[in-house]
Amino acid sequence: MTTLINQNPIIYEASANNSTREWREDEDLEDSVDLIDAQEIFDLIRSISDPEHPLSLEQLNVTQRDHIQVSDENNSVLVEFTPTIPHCSMATLIGLCIRVRLLRCLPARFKVDISVRKGTHQSEHAVNKQLNDKERVAAALENSHLLEVVNQCLATATSGGVVANIVKGPAIAN
Amino acid sequence: MPRLEQLAELTGHEDRVWCAQWHPTKPILATCSGDKTVRIWQSTNPQDPTKWQCTNVLEGGHKRTIRSVAWSPDGRQLATGSFDATTGIWERDEDENGDFECVATLEGHENETKSIAWSKSGALLATCSRDKSVWIWEVEEDNDFECLSVLQEHTQDVKMVAWHPNEELLASASYDDTIKIWRDDDDDWYCADTLHGHDSTVWAIDFDPSGERLVSASADQTLKIWRRYHPGNPEGIITPRRGEPVWKCVATVAGQHDRCIYSVSWSKVHGVVASAGADNTIRLFEATPSTAGAASSDVIASTNEPGTLFDVHLLISVQSAHGTNDINSVAWYPNEEHGDWLASGGDDGSVRIWRFLKD
Repeated sequence: MTTLINQNPIIYEASANNSTREWREDEDLEDSVDLIDAQEIFDLIRSISDPEHPLSLEQLNVTQRDHIQVSDENNSVLVEFTPTIPHCSMATLIGLCIRVRLLRCLPARFKVDISVRKGTHQSEHAVNKQLNDKERVAAALENSHLLEVVNQCLATATSGGVVANIVKGPAIAN
Repeated sequence: MPRLEQLAELTGHEDRVWCAQWHPTKPILATCSGDKTVRIWQSTNPQDPTKWQCTNVLEGGHKRTIRSVAWSPDGRQLATGSFDATTGIWERDEDENGDFECVATLEGHENETKSIAWSKSGALLATCSRDKSVWIWEVEEDNDFECLSVLQEHTQDVKMVAWHPNEELLASASYDDTIKIWRDDDDDWYCADTLHGHDSTVWAIDFDPSGERLVSASADQTLKIWRRYHPGNPEGIITPRRGEPVWKCVATVAGQHDRCIYSVSWSKVHGVVASAGADNTIRLFEATPSTAGAASSDVIASTNEPGTLFDVHLLISVQSAHGTNDINSVAWYPNEEHGDWLASGGDDGSVRIWRFLKD
């Protein structure tokens, strides 16, 4: 890569506090019935690497906990992310990395919608449409070169959030 | 009380099932998957519709996901459309339990093939792709397929192609939010009409038994019913291009599916429409003539074009048809023999056979 799309990104502090939940010492993950919430999703994606800089999405403020909505009961997740600049051509790739990360980590019951935060990208409609087209995503992930790039961005993903929080079981019966 | 009861759940595919298609004349189902194979399922006992077996697995033919399958009208060949940009043509050895072999490979698309369809006569095959084009192929002897036309008028991926039940007329559905109607003038294919109205990608289309109406399914979570108006029609709808019918949206079914609708099938036997998608639900609808003044609680859409008075009724809604997984394909049995059967394929990798009971 010769010229970076965004030569001088603003770097934010990653929060030192990984989780706001307190764990009881005797808590057994197998029996725990934690609902998946925004913090869990954030912990999964905050340390994904930006494709261009050796920094995480959290450090670049691309992902924020408050821009994630989760309903465990409705099996839905909405993640909004903010590209560092409005004409960022990496936006689709970043969105794809988030999608793959959640695809691999969340229980299959979840429907995940990913979009660029409103007003932060000049092609937001086109980017959102691609990221939420299941067929386009499936075909893209069969492209070995693209998959390699995605995997590289995801290689750092476990270094931040506490992955063990996620309970990959069925939804709680009502 | 209409019911849709599950007859069988067929497992075996190792990845999501993208498409399920019935053989034109026999109780045989072909399904294709992200596992790069096609599976052929056969009913083992005419008396017991819950008994099915997988008789063939077609593998090694495609290097990537197989996205769609289609039987030729005479049931002798099976076409497969793949993300590897090719379309395979398969034939079965001698008897019904023989292996399938790939007798032709159609190349030309620049990237993923999304859908393939045979015309009613079996003389033509249409394919479409993310490369925005629709190709029309002529089926010749000796498994030769000649490309008659490359149609490049969609501005984005073409998701599906479907032939008119009787005429050599093709409809295509696209990521550009439109549907296009294609006809030929002595092998010279052209776009006869473009149907605007959906607010997002059109994933699937199907004609009604007469071919005068079309239903479309979209990522905008609605189904639309379109009607063809011929030049000189009694309703007074203008047909601007000489000799060319126009298609108009006569009803929109909204507020039913709450996520993308991936598939729609209009039964050629009893006229019931089945739709399914990412909200894990299969819904059955019927469009019946309006009876003036009759209030009906299950009418979910009414027509908005003069001279076309029918109401759309929701007959059944089956939640979690494939559990918490998307349903990618629904297909009605094509003839009266088992016209009440519906096949579905989903992200859980399973194929299900359902029976529709009207009352």
